[in-house]
Amino acid sequence: MATPATLTTTTTTITTTTPPSTFPLPAHTSFPPFYTLQPNLQTRTRQLTLWSSLIQSYCAHHRLAKLTLGSALATPLFRNDALGRRLSLLDARAVLDWMCSAEGGGRAEWLREKSSSSAAAGGAAGSALQKNTCYIYYRTPAEWADLLLGWVESTGQRGAVLTLYELVQGDAVSGMEWEGLDQDVLLKALGVLVKRGRAQVFGGEGSEGVKFF
Amino acid sequence: MSDSPSVHGLRRLMLCMFLRQIDLTTALRPSLLPDETLLFVQDAVGLYEGKYKLPNYQNGHAYLTSHRACYVDNEEPRKHAVAIDLKDVDRPEFYAGFLKSSPKITFYPKASKRASLAARNPSVSHAASSNPITPPESPAPILNGTSDGDDVVASLKFSFRAGGEKVFFERLKGALVQRKWLLQSAPPVPKPSRQSGEYRTSTPGYEERSDAVTERERTVGIAGLERRGIELRKNNELVLGNAFEDLEALMTSAKEIVALAEQFASQANTGTEGSSSEAKALLSQSASALGLVTTRDMLGSSSGSESLYVSELSRNLAEFLTDDAQGLLKREGGIMSLVDLWAVFNRARGGVELVSPMDFEKAAQLWDKLKLPIRLRRFKSGLLVVQGRDRTDEKTVASLLAWLKGLHSKSPSSEVSWDWPRYGRGVTAQEVAERFGWSVGVASEELEMAEERGALCREQGIDGIRFWQNFFIEEPQITMDSALGSDMSNLHV
Repeated sequence: MATPATLTTTTTTITTTTPPSTFPLPAHTSFPPFYTLQPNLQTRTRQLTLWSSLIQSYCAHHRLAKLTLGSALATPLFRNDALGRRLSLLDARAVLDWMCSAEGGGRAEWLREKSSSSAAAGGAAGSALQKNTCYIYYRTPAEWADLLLGWVESTGQRGAVLTLYELVQGDAVSGMEWEGLDQDVLLKALGVLVKRGRAQVFGGEGSEGVKFF
Repeated sequence: MSDSPSVHGLRRLMLCMFLRQIDLTTALRPSLLPDETLLFVQDAVGLYEGKYKLPNYQNGHAYLTSHRACYVDNEEPRKHAVAIDLKDVDRPEFYAGFLKSSPKITFYPKASKRASLAARNPSVSHAASSNPITPPESPAPILNGTSDGDDVVASLKFSFRAGGEKVFFERLKGALVQRKWLLQSAPPVPKPSRQSGEYRTSTPGYEERSDAVTERERTVGIAGLERRGIELRKNNELVLGNAFEDLEALMTSAKEIVALAEQFASQANTGTEGSSSEAKALLSQSASALGLVTTRDMLGSSSGSESLYVSELSRNLAEFLTDDAQGLLKREGGIMSLVDLWAVFNRARGGVELVSPMDFEKAAQLWDKLKLPIRLRRFKSGLLVVQGRDRTDEKTVASLLAWLKGLHSKSPSSEVSWDWPRYGRGVTAQEVAERFGWSVGVASEELEMAEERGALCREQGIDGIRFWQNFFIEEPQITMDSALGSDMSNLHV
């Protein structure tokens, strides 16, 4: 079936200096069945892979650490006005669920949110999975950790103490990929390094510092 | 046992004069001649010549028709299918069976048949080696020796190992008295018993055969052709003119016969064993007069009659479906649901001896076992459909895809927002049904089958499901890392 009409994931070119305001959608987003989750397992896996890669590229383009379904459904990511098709809430949730799974490569993680109902019930659970907001890992915490560590080593900052603010907002990291990285994601990445014994996080909330070994 | 080889050989020779290889329908039943009707069917029958079992003819179906007594082997039906023309039968003899010996019916050939045997060609394959040479001994002593019994006179026996011999014999006697084959030499159409076409369902190839018969009787050459043309036209006029009259006449008599059949049926249920078999015989005669095929009453009353009924029904159905004159399956796009077939089949039976849905499904499930050219198939949803054996899922998928690919070059009727030369368009089950002549139910099942196989994918819209070529699978596999990697490298300064 060698037709010229095969889908291709056109990789979006993003320049850090002048980021285009609109995210160029890859060609397969104009294939109407793309917006219906497929029942055939093999087809579905392929479709989910395409969605995952689209969502990651979109978030990387817009520097989004997380997506909130309610508002994201109205964005061009899930809603193709030119085509007149959109992904339903249920299907979008299924896509994100798949991205969270091992099969999806752990490219997403649902946020544990303080839920008012569970707090009212006695706060036993403390937090519950609401599946409204989701971290999108176009870089996983482990990948961020590697990048950070590589930068620390190449700039001779082993043993130095850096504040979290410096790590993502400082002049030294201007133009770096993790510039302006979400605080939660940064902490997750540092958590990976702590576990590996390559970093130590100390200080109170709001004024944490980190020391790299 | 003490026969000399030459006598044995001679008898065998006579037998093959007597037996004729016959044609079978697609359902492996004897194809009937015009005017020929099926009277009785019995399974588990074997053939004997004189005292001896005929090898390869030991387990088959016996079909008694108004013209012939046929044997069709279960194992190799096409190879071992023979018949005796009843017109060649001098007399039948009944043997009720004793202890381990099965009941048998013996057919003795007519004297004229025996005398002329040397002039005819053998047609039964197993005896093909014995050429029709003049026998070394004069046939005379044998001809005169009918009273000497089986040892001397060539005879053919049907051995009934699962019962049915009594009804077979009764109907055989009836057929020998009626001598329906004499009608063959009577002038052809128009004939009141034939022109109404009530045999059409039970006699595939009826048209060609009656033509062939007519042709033989005409003078040859251009004059003959011309005369035949004139007569055909006259005949057509007559038939057309009488058509409506005939239809009414048929309907009137059908009503009477149905009433009669019902009356007999109620009597048969209350009556004793003896009277019920008579009633059954009449019942089946009236049913066959209506052009019906196998009915329950046409079959032996042995313990196996239930399964025999189902297997005969199975063959009936296969014939009904593949009959070229009707072209039922072809008209339905090569596939139809079992429920639709059940309705059409029962309608064709004219409201008499309707087949129950249970028997019908059982019969359909036998197609595989009976090696018939029809296949019962169960879709994922449980829908049962009927299709030709040569029709495979691969072929169906290929034809669906061919059509969808053709849509790439056809501009959609209304303005569409996607890249149609690239993706074509999605189609509904309704469109597919129209395109391929399927029912909508069958169309959606076939589409889902193609989806299951990864050839198609779906789009759930507000107006229902549309099926598209599956571009998800066709796309070259791009790993997420490489797709993202280039993104990320761009992010680096």
